[in-house]
Amino acid sequence: MPPTLRCEDLVTYLSEYIDGNLDSELVDAAREHLATCQNCRVVLDSTQRTILLYREQAHQNVMTAARKDALFDKIAAAFEQSTKQDGDSM
Amino acid sequence: MTETANDLVDALRQRDPDALTTVFNTHADKIYRLAVSILHDEVQADGVVQNTFLALIKHIDRFEGRADIGTWLYRVAYNECMGRIRKQRPQVDLDTLFDDELMPTSFVDWNTLPDAILGSSEAMNEMQTAIKKLSPSLQAVFMLRDVEDLSTAQTAHILDISESAVKVRLHRARLALREHLAHYFEEYTH
Repeated sequence: MPPTLRCEDLVTYLSEYIDGNLDSELVDAAREHLATCQNCRVVLDSTQRTILLYREQAHQNVMTAARKDALFDKIAAAFEQSTKQDGDSM
Repeated sequence: MTETANDLVDALRQRDPDALTTVFNTHADKIYRLAVSILHDEVQADGVVQNTFLALIKHIDRFEGRADIGTWLYRVAYNECMGRIRKQRPQVDLDTLFDDELMPTSFVDWNTLPDAILGSSEAMNEMQTAIKKLSPSLQAVFMLRDVEDLSTAQTAHILDISESAVKVRLHRARLALREHLAHYFEEYTH
């Protein structure tokens, strides 16, 4: 029988639950708690939604083509001028 | 490292311009996103991208065979970001800024709000406000794990922290961002 979780426990395990890193006993306990706790369901759903919103927004966040081209030109010029074995150890 | 990745490193060592184009096109936007999310300044983020690739060019001949270019670039970029922040705000403790443990206080279900509200420009500004309140290390963990979908191990390597520290910081970042957005979206649920 899985352990009984309180809301504080569910919040503690929330990220590991989302990432699928909990062992099966705790997953069962979390599901049991979520089945009866509206607040924790909201916290879980809205956390997952938060992640998705940032992911969607971030992937629109790229350099403009003009700035990217200008930056690449500078880097390509440095690359062309660089010679082998002129670097320090990584 | 895969054979293809090894070939890419070899091609860079041979100063093959196509190899540089491939690496730049694969990683430039990712590095830019990380930098802009930590520095909140597009011009500075451009500078981070530039310096990161210049570092790659400088060090490519001594690149270790087992190293991964993407992870290496992220690591250089993150250190460059932190260096710039330390110059701007030398008095700030970067790891503890606004990183208090957070228990949820808003339980309004905003998850089903229409996309027109969730994706509005005002909501996007609010998302930026929320992420700015996190410490740079929480911002970086959130970006690398949840936005760029890197593993816990890769993120730990890039940020030079333990995997358990990545998990703790990711948890705090997620809860803090959720809480901020919950309070913002709450008014639209009435």
